[in-house]
Amino acid sequence: MEFVVAQLSGFGSSLFGLMIDPVTYFYLIPAVFLGIVFGALPGLTATLAVTILTGFFGNKFPLDQALIALIGAYVGAIYGGSYPSILLNIPGTAASAATAMDGYPLAKEGRGGEALGITTTASFIGTLFGTFCLLIFVWILLLVSQNIASPEKALLALFGILLSGTLMSQDLVIKGWISGLIGLAMAMVGLDPILSEERYIFDWSYLLSGFQVVPVLMGAFAIPQIMDGMRAAISLGQVPKLDRIRPELGEVKKRLPVILRSGGIGTGIGALPGVGEDVAGWVSYGVGKTTSKESEQFGKGSVDGLISAEAANNAAIGGALIPLLVLGIPGSPPAAALLGALKINNVIPGPTIDPALIIHIVAVLVLASVTMFLMGLFTARIFVAILRIPKTVFLPVVMVLTTIGSFSVGGGINDLFLMFGVGMLAYAMNLMHYPIAPLVIGVILGGLFDETLRRSLLISDGDLSIFFNRPGAAILLGLNVLLVVSQIPYFKSLSRKIFGGSKPQ
Amino acid sequence: MDEKTTLRVRDFWASIFLIGASCFFIYKTTEIPFLNTKVAGVDSADWYNSAALVPFGIFGCMLVLAFVLLGIAIRDGGARQALTAVGIGYSRSELIRLSCICTILFFYIFGLVPRVDFVIASSLMMTCLIWGFHKQDRNAMLIGTATISSAALYALVMHFPRSQWTKPHDDDWIALAAFLLLTTIMIFKERRKGKLSTVTKLTPVISVLAPLILVLAMAFGFRQNVPNRTGLIFSHMEYHYYVSLRPLWRSKN
Repeated sequence: MEFVVAQLSGFGSSLFGLMIDPVTYFYLIPAVFLGIVFGALPGLTATLAVTILTGFFGNKFPLDQALIALIGAYVGAIYGGSYPSILLNIPGTAASAATAMDGYPLAKEGRGGEALGITTTASFIGTLFGTFCLLIFVWILLLVSQNIASPEKALLALFGILLSGTLMSQDLVIKGWISGLIGLAMAMVGLDPILSEERYIFDWSYLLSGFQVVPVLMGAFAIPQIMDGMRAAISLGQVPKLDRIRPELGEVKKRLPVILRSGGIGTGIGALPGVGEDVAGWVSYGVGKTTSKESEQFGKGSVDGLISAEAANNAAIGGALIPLLVLGIPGSPPAAALLGALKINNVIPGPTIDPALIIHIVAVLVLASVTMFLMGLFTARIFVAILRIPKTVFLPVVMVLTTIGSFSVGGGINDLFLMFGVGMLAYAMNLMHYPIAPLVIGVILGGLFDETLRRSLLISDGDLSIFFNRPGAAILLGLNVLLVVSQIPYFKSLSRKIFGGSKPQ
Repeated sequence: MDEKTTLRVRDFWASIFLIGASCFFIYKTTEIPFLNTKVAGVDSADWYNSAALVPFGIFGCMLVLAFVLLGIAIRDGGARQALTAVGIGYSRSELIRLSCICTILFFYIFGLVPRVDFVIASSLMMTCLIWGFHKQDRNAMLIGTATISSAALYALVMHFPRSQWTKPHDDDWIALAAFLLLTTIMIFKERRKGKLSTVTKLTPVISVLAPLILVLAMAFGFRQNVPNRTGLIFSHMEYHYYVSLRPLWRSKN
């Protein structure tokens, strides 16, 4: 109890410090606005919003100020995806795909304003729930992480890549794994972290420092959207008129258990390495469908369905930051972009992270969610108007944004070449239904995996038992093996025979 | 043909590419010392500490997965349809659209941004994209692509070496002329079709203002590096910022 009180008091003073500082609002309000706009415009993602801002802030601004903008954009973008989902049946981000299932039917019934209002409230409470979990669990896990050494880190990084590949695949699971391997392979370029041996540099000195995260993220998330989006509809369609947006307090009270349950699911899924907000939304929607009293209404305009998806995807933000801060392993692609920003500022997340930074991040998350809530309730009509901007007009602007953002991070023109190359690769992968998130997670975690795996073997003089003898490592190794084996068709059918269940369609 | 078969045809080709790429990178990995190699009489790393260990694992796994993917693709009919246009999902209009976008982006990134003023290069690229693709007019796409290609090729051919990139050259003027020419063609062609649409009217405004505001914000607000500081427009902006404007508020302190 004493621990919780100490945390809350530290958090309280940090929050108060931020609230009375006018600079906070100078960064926060435009960042949340930009985030919501990025989320609302289909094709632009939360990852892209955070990455572009990373390029703008670089390391020329104090990190605590840059974090206000980056976290503000992250929170805003995850929420902003709900606008086109509800009003146009086009998910603004992958995280809000499940929102469209019930949001759009509600809008068609003329309840678009009500749907936006309850979504805003659910997103707000969901973010606060995830933030509270972050505040509590991050310390517990930091204590645990003191005992996490190289073998556990290597296996956890591998687990993150495998899990991301497994859960993000739309077609065959091995495509997700191949995508993760491509990311890992990209991380191998440059000088190796232990012996400084040159790898795959092809006599190009730029490659000695390896692939930079920001151009890779910009290429992976911006270029395919530009190439794909310059074909689609000229405008996004007719936006329905909105009724009252602010929700009734009684309605919110009635839905609070669903919001909290979804927040719990979202935080849990978000905390899994490399998975993220979109999976959180779908899992929570699925759980909601099986447990809700109005489950037969799911897909036809259920408020519970809408809340299940939205509260979960916003709660996943807090969850995704837990492994990021504790282990340096991002819980989602936008968190990976945040990791890039931390690294640019020479902050290495992990057991040695400055506790004041964690408290600061939690306080910023709370302020960002309040800003998002107020903007969602009082300026929603502005975001609805933004939906009318044709893709063919805003995507070229995004191209300029990503070019200048990518250039400024450090590598100059070479980073632009890298961004273009990664963009072409990502577009080809999109065409063949390879998920991009595992590639990004692979690029981010590749260096960590390489270094910690070899360090483990160096400590044990090449004895592989170091991965079995340590309890934590043994559990993680088991999880990795289980994850791979569970996807092999023979074992899939065997498990169906043993545990029952129908064959998937 | 259903989408699944098209996917399997693409998987068939992708798996062959992946097998080739994995083999190539496994070969390249053999160039990294692995098993007790001695360099200049000094023992290098053991196998478990070698820089080649993880790459061997990665490309080995990729090779195995590529063979699995090839097997799935062949089993599901990907190989049978591999050489048919329908199987690959080929469409002429889509090919033209994609080729135009790729060409525009390629010449923007590789030709213009390193050599030409960023505002001019971006204005030209944005006009090509907005006019060419807003109404999916094939002529507009091709005219835009030809214009940006000409300007970029001139810059590439005349000032190819890296040492020439940041020096002020006539390629800025050529790109500016290309932008003005394209804008004029766009307005002329659209007017012939009838009243100018809002997007057509706004295209030159957005194309100039968006990169201009961004580059100003980035260079003087966020204090970050921007491409081609010696470019035609940016060099003037930077000069007047430091020589004409900055002393105004500096002198007050």
